[in-house]
Amino acid sequence: MVKILVVDDSDAFRKVMIELLVRAGFHDVKEAGDFESGVEAFRREKPDFTFVDMILPGKSGVELTKELLTIEPKATVIAMSSIINKTMIRLSLDAGAKDFLLKPTNTIALSSVLVMWSD
Amino acid sequence: MSLFLFKKPRERKSIKEPGLGISRKYQLLEGRSYVIEESPPDISFDAFANMVSTPDDKGKKTVGMMVTRQHPDLVRQKYGLDQTPIYWLATRTGEDIISPTNLGILTHTMIKFVEEHPSGVILLDGIEYLVSNNDFNKVLRVLDQVNDHISQSRSRMILPVDPRAFEQKELALLERNMEKIVSPAVGK
Repeated sequence: MVKILVVDDSDAFRKVMIELLVRAGFHDVKEAGDFESGVEAFRREKPDFTFVDMILPGKSGVELTKELLTIEPKATVIAMSSIINKTMIRLSLDAGAKDFLLKPTNTIALSSVLVMWSD
Repeated sequence: MSLFLFKKPRERKSIKEPGLGISRKYQLLEGRSYVIEESPPDISFDAFANMVSTPDDKGKKTVGMMVTRQHPDLVRQKYGLDQTPIYWLATRTGEDIISPTNLGILTHTMIKFVEEHPSGVILLDGIEYLVSNNDFNKVLRVLDQVNDHISQSRSRMILPVDPRAFEQKELALLERNMEKIVSPAVGK
């Protein structure tokens, strides 16, 4: 079963994201609200996909992406943000994120990303 | 000096957006128009922004044109659109503003874009506003006219529609020659 971790400081967004993922057939979804709990959940769960909001309280999503890929270089990290900021997207991709999703996302974009980056 | 001097057309630089280095998430078929039933129009804007910022499966860039009720500055900022022409549907005068009652200019602008960019994409946001300023059938005729040009080209049109703003019959008429996508309600 595909394991997914969602790291976002918005409870409401995490709830929506989990609902979308469950609807798309992904039932093993874990969540975290900041850098530290994201790293902890990532170490514990070893997810196949990690969705990381670029703007987190404290350390940013770019820093989290770098940290997760240091722990597991083969991890699939997808960056998320509520605006398309070209600089931020470039930094995320340079940090090792595979792709980017605009928030709020939807089943079409989400399914496309999951299919695109599945092994 | 005469008031009727030839006015030099405004030079517009390339309308291609730079690539974002991310994947294309929406595969809209060429020559088709899509009605997306949703409110707010998140899928429509994401699809448009994604299409103009990513290469297609042949590696080609897609250029787009947007007509929207939202202020263009806000749209450009949120969706990272620097080059794409964005027309504001508003009862103001000014550059790149189309009055909701001037359906002739609206039709001409969209058809001209399709003719100049036969594999482009148009987002027409604000159909409810157009209908509130005009007779529904007149707006429908505009859409039919643009859709005919889309069908004869490799272009695509995205039309976000709030289904609550229309009667069943009107929705059916809007969607009769277009593909329909319904946004699943989340959190209900």
